[in-house]
Amino acid sequence: MSMKKKRKLGRIVMLICLTVIAGIYIYPVYLMFMNSFKPFGEIIADVLAFPIKPDLSNYTYVIDKMKYLKLFRNNLIITLIGIAGIVLFASLAAYILDRRRGKYSTIAYTLIITPMLIPFQTIMITLLKAMNIIHLSGSKIGLGIQYWGFGIPMATFIFYNFMKTVPRELDESAEIDGASTLRTYVSIIFPVLKSVTFTVIVLDVMWIWNDFLLPLLMVNSNNETKTLVLAAYTFVGQMNTKWNYALTAMVLAVVPSIIVFIFLQKYIVDGVVAGAVKG
Amino acid sequence: MTRKVKKQVETIVFSMPALILVCMMMYIPFVMSGYYSLTEWNGISKEAKFIGLQNFKTIFLESSDFVQSLWFTMKYTLVFVIASNVLAIALAVVLTKKFRFANFFRGVFFIPYIMSMTIVGFIWKFIFTSGFEKLYEITGMGVWNLSWLGDTTLVFYSVAFVGVWQSLGFYIVLYIAGLQAIPQDVLEAAIVDGANGRQKFFKVTLPLLGPSFTTCIFMSLTNGLKVFDIILALTKGGPGTATNSVTMQIYKEAFTNNHYGTGSAQSIVYFLFVLIVTQLVLKAFSKKEVDL
Repeated sequence: MSMKKKRKLGRIVMLICLTVIAGIYIYPVYLMFMNSFKPFGEIIADVLAFPIKPDLSNYTYVIDKMKYLKLFRNNLIITLIGIAGIVLFASLAAYILDRRRGKYSTIAYTLIITPMLIPFQTIMITLLKAMNIIHLSGSKIGLGIQYWGFGIPMATFIFYNFMKTVPRELDESAEIDGASTLRTYVSIIFPVLKSVTFTVIVLDVMWIWNDFLLPLLMVNSNNETKTLVLAAYTFVGQMNTKWNYALTAMVLAVVPSIIVFIFLQKYIVDGVVAGAVKG
Repeated sequence: MTRKVKKQVETIVFSMPALILVCMMMYIPFVMSGYYSLTEWNGISKEAKFIGLQNFKTIFLESSDFVQSLWFTMKYTLVFVIASNVLAIALAVVLTKKFRFANFFRGVFFIPYIMSMTIVGFIWKFIFTSGFEKLYEITGMGVWNLSWLGDTTLVFYSVAFVGVWQSLGFYIVLYIAGLQAIPQDVLEAAIVDGANGRQKFFKVTLPLLGPSFTTCIFMSLTNGLKVFDIILALTKGGPGTATNSVTMQIYKEAFTNNHYGTGSAQSIVYFLFVLIVTQLVLKAFSKKEVDL
């Protein structure tokens, strides 16, 4: 066999192997989707078989029972509040602390980023007490605000490292033209930060949208404030043996992320890589 | 107000929101944890009784649950770090090759990572029970009939497997980025010097992957040490205490048993444990990096 043929054959073998591995890898997700279109009896009879007559009755039942649209809105509100605060406060702090170097800036920067070393579970017990005292527990807005505190350290770190590469001439010339510091931030600095802002948003949306433990501690007691994952968790717990409803709830919980991912794959992967390398 | 003072005030004002928020959510609860670890407190009563270091004595000497959970977490983290990095490097090497659908395959491996870990736990609970049952029916192979979630030894591997399955895609994309950053001429030089495929990989690619390697090891380490959601959905720490991670132990101690004082003491020990382990590993790895 010629070298070229050999290489081509090797490539085909590799592609087949890869297809098999990827197929097995994603098979559980496929099973979850497929079985959500079956009635209970069919799941029990044969998990692997394709639905005899796929129907949406599981979905109409679960969407109604879980109050899916409300949960979706809750998630959206919490995530939006969280992201807005993290991006605003972290970029503002990173900007000023990088441009005004000095003793205060060094101390403030260190204080802001050091909590990256504190695992959430270390503080969760007393956090609940502290948040009860200042009334941030038990509400969607309160939960969104809490994400500011948890997201700011990492976001500031990422913004700060990027700020160091932004030439100072940019804002100095604006200041000479008479722009205030705030004005410079809004119209010069923030637009320059665009790519890194995007990284922060990707990382934090994935985190907040899917977060489980903090919502469990803060907003689980009330059906009005529950998040998507939290409600799915409770629902699956109640529907322990009724896999048809449990699987449908699980699909509904992950389907928004999957749809977004399909459309924005490249950007999401780039954001995640950039975040990990910088963070 | 002079210009200098004005600038100083501005610096403080601009950085204050971030500082205050971090203090509120992280430092104050952290200091409170330190205080409550020295008290007996059920979380409800206003007054916590100061009992000195009694809680630390309790968690290390009177009950073995906490120490066991530390062991479990260490074992889990070790398996998680090694398995996810080895598999991720292997798959990344294949997926950096130029072929059609390469992006599609990367996407497939990344999908579990964008899903909530709790749901991932549930999916696998379904597979381990209903799915495996059917596979046993069809194939008659004993592997499918084992009690993957009910057996105290097997359950460790099930949990670790699901953990790796969920996050493998993340490490794959990091390694792909690392592999693409390796300059092509260095690899070509190795081929010209007569290196075969294996030598090329172990002597050139792997050492030059250093920075990605350090990042991935560090990330997998901290994620392994923090494992919680997957275990809660899959086994709730069971059967018995077979998959009781430290985080699960702290959660139960505080919110199920209402021993907030003991829970806080465990939190503090856990914090120190994570800090020491990550710093040691980070030091060991940053020394070995190869610069170009």
